[in-house]
Amino acid sequence: MKKNKKKEILFAYSWSAPSLILILLIVIFPILYTGYISLTNMNVYHWNNYELIGLKNYKDALLVLDNGFIQAFLVTILWTIINMVLQLIIAFLLANLLNLKRLRLRNLYKTLLIFPWAMPGYVSILLWKTGMFNSQFGLLNQWLAKYNIGPVKWLGSDGMAFLCCTTVNLWLALPFMITIMDGALQSIEKSFYESAVLDGATWLQKMWYITIPMIKPIIAPSVVITTFTTFKQFDILFLLTQQVGAKTGSNLQTILTYAYEKAFITNNYGYSSAISMIIFVILIVFSVLTNMKPKEETD
Amino acid sequence: MKKRTRENIGLVFANIFLILLCFVVLVPVLYAFSVSLNADNSLLSTNFSFLPKHFTLANYKAVFTEKPIMLWLKNSLILAVVTLGISLGTGIPAAYVFSRKEFPGRKAILRTLILLYAFPSLLSMTALYKLLSPMGLINTRTGLIIVYTGTMAVFALWNMKGYFDTIPVEIEEAAMIDGTTPVQLVTRIVLPLAKPTIAVTAMMVLIYVWNEYIFAINFMTGSDTYTLAAGLYSLQATEMSGSWPIFAAASIVVSIPILIVFFALQKNMTTGLTSGGVKG
Amino acid sequence: MRRRVRSKLMSMALTLTMAAGLLSGCGGNSVSETDKTTITIWHDKEDAVAEVLQKKLEELEPDVHVVLEKKSDLTESLKMVGSDPKAAPDMYFFAHDKIGVYAEMDILAPITDIIPEEELDVYMDNTLEAATYKGKIYQLPVYYETLLFMYNRLYMKDDEVPQTTEELYQYMQDNTAGGHYGFVEQHSTPYYAAGWINGFNGTILSADGTPGLDSKETIAALEYHKKFVDLMPGETEYATVNTLFKEGMAHSTIAGPWLVPTVRESGMDVGVAAMPVIDETGNPISPYMGVQGIHVLKNAAENKKDAVEKVLRALMDPEVEVDLAKASGCAPAMESCYEMDEITSDEVVMAMHDTAEHAVPMPNIPEMDVMWTVVGNLLTDVNMSGKDVTESAEAAQQEALQLIESMR
Repeated sequence: MKKNKKKEILFAYSWSAPSLILILLIVIFPILYTGYISLTNMNVYHWNNYELIGLKNYKDALLVLDNGFIQAFLVTILWTIINMVLQLIIAFLLANLLNLKRLRLRNLYKTLLIFPWAMPGYVSILLWKTGMFNSQFGLLNQWLAKYNIGPVKWLGSDGMAFLCCTTVNLWLALPFMITIMDGALQSIEKSFYESAVLDGATWLQKMWYITIPMIKPIIAPSVVITTFTTFKQFDILFLLTQQVGAKTGSNLQTILTYAYEKAFITNNYGYSSAISMIIFVILIVFSVLTNMKPKEETD
Repeated sequence: MKKRTRENIGLVFANIFLILLCFVVLVPVLYAFSVSLNADNSLLSTNFSFLPKHFTLANYKAVFTEKPIMLWLKNSLILAVVTLGISLGTGIPAAYVFSRKEFPGRKAILRTLILLYAFPSLLSMTALYKLLSPMGLINTRTGLIIVYTGTMAVFALWNMKGYFDTIPVEIEEAAMIDGTTPVQLVTRIVLPLAKPTIAVTAMMVLIYVWNEYIFAINFMTGSDTYTLAAGLYSLQATEMSGSWPIFAAASIVVSIPILIVFFALQKNMTTGLTSGGVKG
Repeated sequence: MRRRVRSKLMSMALTLTMAAGLLSGCGGNSVSETDKTTITIWHDKEDAVAEVLQKKLEELEPDVHVVLEKKSDLTESLKMVGSDPKAAPDMYFFAHDKIGVYAEMDILAPITDIIPEEELDVYMDNTLEAATYKGKIYQLPVYYETLLFMYNRLYMKDDEVPQTTEELYQYMQDNTAGGHYGFVEQHSTPYYAAGWINGFNGTILSADGTPGLDSKETIAALEYHKKFVDLMPGETEYATVNTLFKEGMAHSTIAGPWLVPTVRESGMDVGVAAMPVIDETGNPISPYMGVQGIHVLKNAAENKKDAVEKVLRALMDPEVEVDLAKASGCAPAMESCYEMDEITSDEVVMAMHDTAEHAVPMPNIPEMDVMWTVVGNLLTDVNMSGKDVTESAEAAQQEALQLIESMR
């Protein structure tokens, strides 16, 4: 029996080894190397002849972690929560709608709704920016102008910019969520509902007691993944409001855009690596604090 | 009878709602489509209409004749296929054992993985560059594949492991008793059951490679090694140049292969567990 | 057990062969030692300019094969690849303002390593000055550009063109209504706002690398500029501003010469005039001057000297500068060109020649890199978020100092 157990473990290691080695080399090692760079003075003035300078970069970096950073961090958290909640609710409702009995055009709708997924993200963002939100030419303001409203500066203030970015993020992210939810819904045995209907359950009860518990384990990994994708979203906020020469007046920052403006534009790689490492440490602390351990709901 | 009528009314409303929703969702896409068919060189106009005033296909012609889009397509395809192969090839067995076996370090590794996924790879771009450069991997497909597989390996392992957890182990146990080898077990029993997650994961990997442009433009410096996303980025209207209609046409063209793949995979994505033969 | 191991070995072998195959397959892309006659040039210029350069450089065949590659993120990419022989170009064609960064990175070769300094005397003094960093000339100037005051003759008659900024303001007040604008510019984009700051004798960054954002002059400029911004659209980016002008929704604008060919194409009778004089200081709006030219990377200067020299000499031909002026309104950097009829008859080029007299060359020191972002934020704060000018300027100054400090 003991031997068997050992064999099992060996088996597990050997099967996961290729993947883990890959991750170790390509993901972990560069992070460690970033840590090394953060201890050097690699910058424009010492491009090829950089040397170890100890913790100086961290000392400088901590000066930047002021109120602005804390605010950016809070915005990032808020952004993640709001987006995830909206995404889950909307995707859930839509997926249910798409699974209505006798809905003939189901596949057509699904394909159309999936379109935003197929377009390269930054193309979509630029389209939204110039095509929709632009205060002079955007479709939104052109439509509003017909009713003599506006022009509205969609990206001009923090609040509005947050709303607009959320809209774009939902537009970009919902196709994936709907697909996942849809797949999960279809895996539910129809007989559960039938017996529930016999018991006289309402729609809400069916959702609450059957659908949600049934799809939860199936969608859980994708939800965790999406949460982090949302957390590290950079393109939307940056391209919509902060491109150099095309700022819109909102001063909304997430930790990534903040780090970009405070460190990456200095071309001091040691310094920006120090900021990267601090963000990494914050992520670790945060994940320990919120105890975000992988959900184990089987067995 | 009454119930049937109510259901029908509900269905009509559902259809109307979905049609409206599809339209709203597609507005930006229709917008790009309309611009791409417009003869006037402007993305912006104070009186926009979805029907172009001066209809033309010249922009599409330009995309295929003036830009090396076929070359970019080839580059993107190679990258996508290899990245897909490596990340699924290593991810599936790993996800399987992480879901099924108990071994020391398992939980710690899983936790680390999600942490790694949370860390934006952009932040370690300089380090990646400095590491790949001495190996001569900059400006090669291999270099970019390495970057992509790293990010996607974490995603694939995590995403598929979660789905494997939801597949009941009983069937596998039965098969084990029948003397099936682990490889057979995975290829004959687990894989068919895991089709939806594999399809979704494959789709995500594909879309990632297809759309990623930051590493592509920084690590691939010659325009003949560009991927579609990088090529498209270079077409983008900059301060002094760039033609929006061609850019819009190119965006539509680039989206089409993804849609085709999606069509092909759609069935697999939504084939639920139940049809795989597992009765809950 | 054995079968499992075998299959795993197989998959690993497969992966390795694949990787190896790709590696060798892509080896051809790199610049090999024997390929000393191929020169790769990065640029980010409009097609009209690229075509002229391409045509000229094709004359060098078969001695030298030149590949002109358009890079939209040229400056960032170059910072990343540095002097990596596998990825870096041999030369690049860009404005002079990044010279400091690359010279400090030690990836640029002075032009004088290849072309004797006395031969460069044919260029205008201020272009050579712009190309000089720490006493060495790093760029072979080809043309320069400044922003210009442009107007649509359909709305603004030649005798209505404002001579002073107050006249301009008056014109804006009279003509900004119902979707029409008297005047538009990229008001919160540093490159454009710099003209106002310089006109007030303020500075963004002095020659020794000190930011001047909280100086009396800069603050006065920002205060004064604000009332103009109030009569302009909320967007500051390129597409909006230029489309407004192009579509005839804006009567006048300050924009780069590259806009002229496109608006002419759309049938507009566009006029180019001298910059309005700022009433308070008596200076005209004094935009930055950008000198466009070619730079040589160190690797190429060492390994491909002959080919590089041929390319440089080809670009020293005055004919190229004349062709560029005709193609895209580029103002020649060579003094002698301004004696040719083809040039003196060109309204746009001559307007730039005049503007250049009080234009300020963009700083080329590395510190400028962070200033674009800081000044952009400052302008956004002042013009778009309505924050207090003095406070914002002081905060921006602190920020700039801190960022410059952390560059080292």
